[in-house]
Amino acid sequence: MNEPILTQQQQTENSERYKNLIVVLTVFTTVLAAVLAALQADANIRADIANRDSRYFAVLASGELHRAALETNYEFSVFGDYFKNLQEATILELTALEQETNGDNAVAQSTREMAGISQARANMGEKFSIFYTDPRYAPQSENDAPKADQYVTDVFEKSNEIVLQQNKAADDYHTWDRKADLYVTALTIIAVAFFLFGLAQALKDARLRLTFAFFGMAVIGFSLVITITTLLS
Amino acid sequence: MKRSSLFTSRFEIINAILIAVVSLTTAFAVWRTNLVGSNADDENRQGLIDAVKKQTLGNEHHRKVYEEAGFAYQFAVKQAEALALEASDDPAAQERAANIQQYLLPNMQLLAQPLATDEKYQRADGTYDLQKRLADMQNAEEDQLNPSASFARADSLFAEQRWLVVGSVLLAVSLFWLALAEVSNGRLRTSGFTIGLAVYLLGILWFVGVELIFFYTRRGGS
Repeated sequence: MNEPILTQQQQTENSERYKNLIVVLTVFTTVLAAVLAALQADANIRADIANRDSRYFAVLASGELHRAALETNYEFSVFGDYFKNLQEATILELTALEQETNGDNAVAQSTREMAGISQARANMGEKFSIFYTDPRYAPQSENDAPKADQYVTDVFEKSNEIVLQQNKAADDYHTWDRKADLYVTALTIIAVAFFLFGLAQALKDARLRLTFAFFGMAVIGFSLVITITTLLS
Repeated sequence: MKRSSLFTSRFEIINAILIAVVSLTTAFAVWRTNLVGSNADDENRQGLIDAVKKQTLGNEHHRKVYEEAGFAYQFAVKQAEALALEASDDPAAQERAANIQQYLLPNMQLLAQPLATDEKYQRADGTYDLQKRLADMQNAEEDQLNPSASFARADSLFAEQRWLVVGSVLLAVSLFWLALAEVSNGRLRTSGFTIGLAVYLLGILWFVGVELIFFYTRRGGS
């Protein structure tokens, strides 16, 4: 009569074994899930901010490129016009000299006046050109040419800086977006652990419960590895 | 036995009510957190729209300034040409200068306005102040577009969302402990209930604190 009662007690004890372990594991998994959710939200926010900055800098860079293109177009038009007038003046002056040498003084006088008009146009153009008014680009001596390369470098400097900032923001966006995705992966894996611990809690056989708990722990370990490597990357 | 059963039953009812309250609070907290995040996204969107509008206006102003600068340059050069012709001894050249000054230059000046007509843009050396013209072009509408302000508000809302998430997590954790107390017995039940209640109160305090801090920070900043 006593034997069946003992067997029932043993069965009850057997069915209650490792339950506390499962509870502890479930609590740990919950805390881990909560921390992961917070990390995921934080990574998502950082990705959003970097994405916004990237787009903002793209708008600024396009505007700055537009402005620089307009400015260079104007400056090189003025410079080209100045150079054309200067060449005309020089050629007309040389022609007048040649005409004087040939004894054609009246024609030479007329040619010289035309040269003077071209020179007057060139003189005015020189005042307008950044290549002759800005000491950074102006020729150092009469035989030197203006520093057009330096001008082009300077005029696009700001847009290049903005593009660098845009690239950095885009890289940041990719980094944080990848992290957010990895945290979601870790959270999904944790959901599997929850399922396994829930199943372990419901089972009556202690060995089977331990087996599921073991698999649950393995899954949590995998999730932890993903979380830590993502956090440190 | 009967008293113990009565206590257990009463505890379960109280705990169940508390779980319901914590669930509702958690739902509210998650809603509020998402609302703050949504507001931050709205501010970001507004900032980007303002940035595009401002850039479009800026682009148009630069285009117009350099167009006017081109006409003003042509006017100045033609004026120099007319003066050179006028200074000539040749009567034909002087007549040509008079024609240019009478018919061509006024029309070129009209094209080059306001740089060539408004004295405030003219420099002593005969060139024009393009930066001043550009500054005058920037109107009130452009000044009102301030993407940086929208982005600053978005950053503040994102920061608030970040801290509210922590509050939501605390509430979720308290929910777990209370649920554990509901299904457990003995000491585990009491400790689960105590921890759950403490974490819940901490979560509420955290949530309210974050809301108040950011409310006053934004009010002070705006």
